Amino acid sequence: MIELRNITKIYNPGEITEMTLFHDFSLTVEDGEFLSIVGSNGSGKTSMLNIICGSIPIEKGEIIINGKNIAGTPEFRRYTNIGRVYQNPSMGTCPSLTITENMALADNKGGKFGLSMGVNKKRIAYYREMLSTLGLGLEDKMDIRAGSLSGGQRQAMALLMTTMTPIDFLILDEHTAALDPKTAELIMQLTDKIVREKKITAMMVTHNLRYAVEYGNRVIMMHGGNVVFDRKGTEKAATSVQDLLGLFNEISIECGN
Amino acid sequence: MSVFFNTCEVFLESGFVFSLIAMGYYLSYTILDFPDLTVEGTFLSGAVVYGLLLHHGVSPWFALLAAFLVGFLFGTLTGVLNVKLKIRPLLCGILVSTMLITVNLVAVTAGIAGDFKGETSSMITIGRAMETLMEVFPASLLPDKVSGIGLRNVVVFFVLAILLKLLLDLFLKTKCGLLLRASGDNAQFVVTQAKDAGNSKILGLAIGNAYAAVSGALYTEISGSVNQSMGIGMVVIGLASLIIGLSVFSRVHFMKATTKVIIGAIIYQACLTVAQKLGMPSAYNKLIMAFIFTIALIFSEYKKHGKHRAKHRERKESSHD
Ligand SMILES: Nc1ncnc2c1ncn2[C@@H]1O[C@H](COP(=O)(O)OP(=O)(O)OP(=O)(O)O)[C@@H](O)[C@H]1O
Ligand SMILES: [Mg+2]
Repeated sequence: MIELRNITKIYNPGEITEMTLFHDFSLTVEDGEFLSIVGSNGSGKTSMLNIICGSIPIEKGEIIINGKNIAGTPEFRRYTNIGRVYQNPSMGTCPSLTITENMALADNKGGKFGLSMGVNKKRIAYYREMLSTLGLGLEDKMDIRAGSLSGGQRQAMALLMTTMTPIDFLILDEHTAALDPKTAELIMQLTDKIVREKKITAMMVTHNLRYAVEYGNRVIMMHGGNVVFDRKGTEKAATSVQDLLGLFNEISIECGN
Repeated sequence: MSVFFNTCEVFLESGFVFSLIAMGYYLSYTILDFPDLTVEGTFLSGAVVYGLLLHHGVSPWFALLAAFLVGFLFGTLTGVLNVKLKIRPLLCGILVSTMLITVNLVAVTAGIAGDFKGETSSMITIGRAMETLMEVFPASLLPDKVSGIGLRNVVVFFVLAILLKLLLDLFLKTKCGLLLRASGDNAQFVVTQAKDAGNSKILGLAIGNAYAAVSGALYTEISGSVNQSMGIGMVVIGLASLIIGLSVFSRVHFMKATTKVIIGAIIYQACLTVAQKLGMPSAYNKLIMAFIFTIALIFSEYKKHGKHRAKHRERKESSHD
């Protein structure tokens, strides 16, 4: 379970550009939830994910994961049970390492990075098998550098890699935004499959309202640092793209756009 | 003919010795993208430690190991300044190498004459009374010269360069080395692997400087002495060798980067030696060094132009999210 309690986040505190994004913000994500997050640009979606992962500091509040307040834990430690895929496909892999080396690194997450060989030869067959489930032909070019793959191929690999080792939470920030419609669909289906199979609690930011409606079991809409819409279970299942779009327009009108 | 062989001997010796700095730079500059100025200090530190230990009758092999460790230590310091205290890379190098000017000086005067004020002679002559690397097993098994041409030094330096190259290659294939390459490539990725990318960076700088220090230690075997200005110009020598090696063989894919770097060091030293043999006074050394480096840079930038711009673009894109 992820719990954000009374979070206050101020950007550039003390400067003329000071901006309070979150004031007393709270949100609870239950175990097993697959939460889709929608909202206009600048509504604070990425900031919220960054707060959970510790990429940015907060002024006030508690971040409780599995019952423990991790607000003071450094970013890298938090990723022991969190996996994350970014919008930019080049964030999820190391460009000058080969596919195999990338997989081996991900495979060793949580383990010791000592002086034993980086790539365990016995695991290569397993990597190949995993890659072949993507249907992108990556299993045939495991010795080429990840940097020479297309964005979609890299994103698929990134998703596979973050979920290779057991994690409790998966954080996805517009992870299909840079992909063509077909590859985006493939990555979405893969995401759904992994989240279900491994019973991961997932938070997914998306601007694609159809994905928000079709996938997951809870949807929230954010605006100006607040949650303005929150539906789960059967209510969520009954929500349509039209509903979300209507709400979007309503909010925009309120803001005078 | 013997002039030719003598010239070869000179640049091969120094080429192999300086290739160690270049290999260190391969780690810190190419892999970690860290322009490390510490080597000017650690090169000399290596020489100082080696010279002092030899002076006190310690085994040259042990002295070499000690030089490695001292370089490792000061490299760690540079890394800590950058990673933990967030000081910019160039400044970290300047700080540590400036500090080392005093450390290296006092280490010699204190180590030789017990003078902690640094007022006595700060030079160590590797005299005949000392047992050098070339005079102990296994180097001593080799003939010093074959028909008037020096052999032993070249062979010993060659074997050491290859050995350290293989060690570096092997290290880069271990889990630890893989993580280090990853932190140079994509630090955020390492963070999401629940690892502190800073630690890998510190380790990389430590190893890079350890190599520079061993290079300094071996250089005393060529120069026959340790003097306080030995470290000057080592940044240029290391970077020039690295960049020449990597750009000349940029299209050769079967060759390991570390091999290219060794050849780069030899090419660079060959150019310098030839310039000297052609009658260039030794006072002009550093000028020629910088000149050849400039040519190498222009050449490699020209070649890499397209790639550089692509990389720049990619950085810009990633800073958007
Ligand atoms: N590093 C920063 N410094 C100052 N302000 C920031 C910073 N990062 C984000 N902000 C501000 O915080 C607000 C929320 O930004 P955030 O990136 O969280 O939005 P988002 O919901 O992810 O938007 P998008 O849909 O465009 O990705 C914006 O108004 C933005 O200007
Ligand atoms: Mg965002």
